[in-house]
Amino acid sequence: MSDQQTPASTATSGSQHDDVTHFGFRDVPKSQKAGQVAEVFHSVAGKYDLMNDLMSMGVHRLWKRFTIELSGVRPGHQVLDIAGGTGDLTMKFSDLVGPSGKVVLADINASMLKVGRSRLADRGYAGNIEYVQADAEHLPFPDNSFNAVSIAFGLRNVTDKDQALRDMARVLKPGGKLMVLEFSKPSNPLLSKAYDTYSFTALPFMGKLIAGDSESYKYLAESIRMHPDQDTLKGMMETAGFANCKYHNMTGGIVALHVGIKP
Amino acid sequence: MFPGPTLLSAASAIVETALNQALEFDPAGRKALLAALTAPVQFDLTAPMALTLTLTQGAKGVLVGSQPATQPGLVMAGPAMAFYAMASGDTGAIKDGRLSVRGDTALAHQFQRAIAQLSPDWEAAMARHLGDVPAHFLAKRLRNGVKWSRAARHSMASNLEEYLHEETGALPGRRELEATFQDIDALSLRVERLAARVEFLPQNQPASRLPSHPSEPSEPSEKQENL
Repeated sequence: MSDQQTPASTATSGSQHDDVTHFGFRDVPKSQKAGQVAEVFHSVAGKYDLMNDLMSMGVHRLWKRFTIELSGVRPGHQVLDIAGGTGDLTMKFSDLVGPSGKVVLADINASMLKVGRSRLADRGYAGNIEYVQADAEHLPFPDNSFNAVSIAFGLRNVTDKDQALRDMARVLKPGGKLMVLEFSKPSNPLLSKAYDTYSFTALPFMGKLIAGDSESYKYLAESIRMHPDQDTLKGMMETAGFANCKYHNMTGGIVALHVGIKP
Repeated sequence: MFPGPTLLSAASAIVETALNQALEFDPAGRKALLAALTAPVQFDLTAPMALTLTLTQGAKGVLVGSQPATQPGLVMAGPAMAFYAMASGDTGAIKDGRLSVRGDTALAHQFQRAIAQLSPDWEAAMARHLGDVPAHFLAKRLRNGVKWSRAARHSMASNLEEYLHEETGALPGRRELEATFQDIDALSLRVERLAARVEFLPQNQPASRLPSHPSEPSEPSEKQENL
């Protein structure tokens, strides 16, 4: 099943060759992408939250808030926050599920997980949170385990997105909800132009100034452009087995929240 | 579609922060409101713009959402002014239909009571930023100002009422009106009783041959007394 290649994934791979995928605007062997993405996040982990606030001017908190609102998570639920990083969504989910529920903060990157765990512990979040270093393509959880799965600003860094979506469907309980919050394509051409200018000039500059790393933020801007647009991602979710798939554009389509239900 | 999800999230975040900060200064009110939120309460604003806000009990206070709740315990719909009236203590907002209520009506009344009982200690809030003495000075003047404006409003309404009733005679006095309404009610009751008695009378039959009815008082004097 994991070897099955869908038309959507072929179209979004950016390469006709099966063993090559994109890393920003560059083509790299599939086996190397995870390592290169890991290097990016090792480099930015310490300043990740500060940079997020600066780059989005704080709006990323509103995007995440909307994601939480649509999650429908209630006390007692089991929630998986993939690519949870510094734990923004995990904190909110932890409040919602209460002591009878559980939230798993999963991230493939040890540095990000370490920052997230320290941050959550500092804020007194304990008891209903587990930390797992896991690859989104091979989730180490039994089938039908979670009421909700979220992945915020993480899917574009995954090498095989189709495989990751299939694995998310696997670990969700029937009726469970997947929420994919990710950068997308602005619907307005003027906004798109302004956004491009901002992404390719201001972001690397801020990265150099604050995190001392402009290349990682250049990768961020490039990876956003290579990520599938709203309708393509919706199609990928449907192919992965999700039903009632829909998306909500936010801030003119700069970010989109895709929601799908496991039938 | 305006407002989009980002703006809605911003609006709900502002309301949530303001509400929880206000509740911090009224622990008893906070407890009562959280106790009333046994299930999500949804507000559908119909005017001046369509907007949905939900209140849910959270681990650290009240959570405000901008999306319809999956299983709301109570849905209240109406214009923003009606919600403002309810929050200001106007108990008639639900009774007179300005706010429509779906779901658990007991929860609606409990929620309305909890809102009406809210009384945040604004002086304590100001004291945090200004210090005790300036906060007390300001709060005292604000309280006096509010008290004076309430008294002035009440006094103006009384004066106007008195002018219309007593000076110009444009409207009947309150007591006169109440007496008239009482008379009308009494007359209406008597007419109903008479109608009920007339229904007992068989058509085209002399009154002397009326069959006796155990439940019906047949004495003419008693009839007259009742009438």
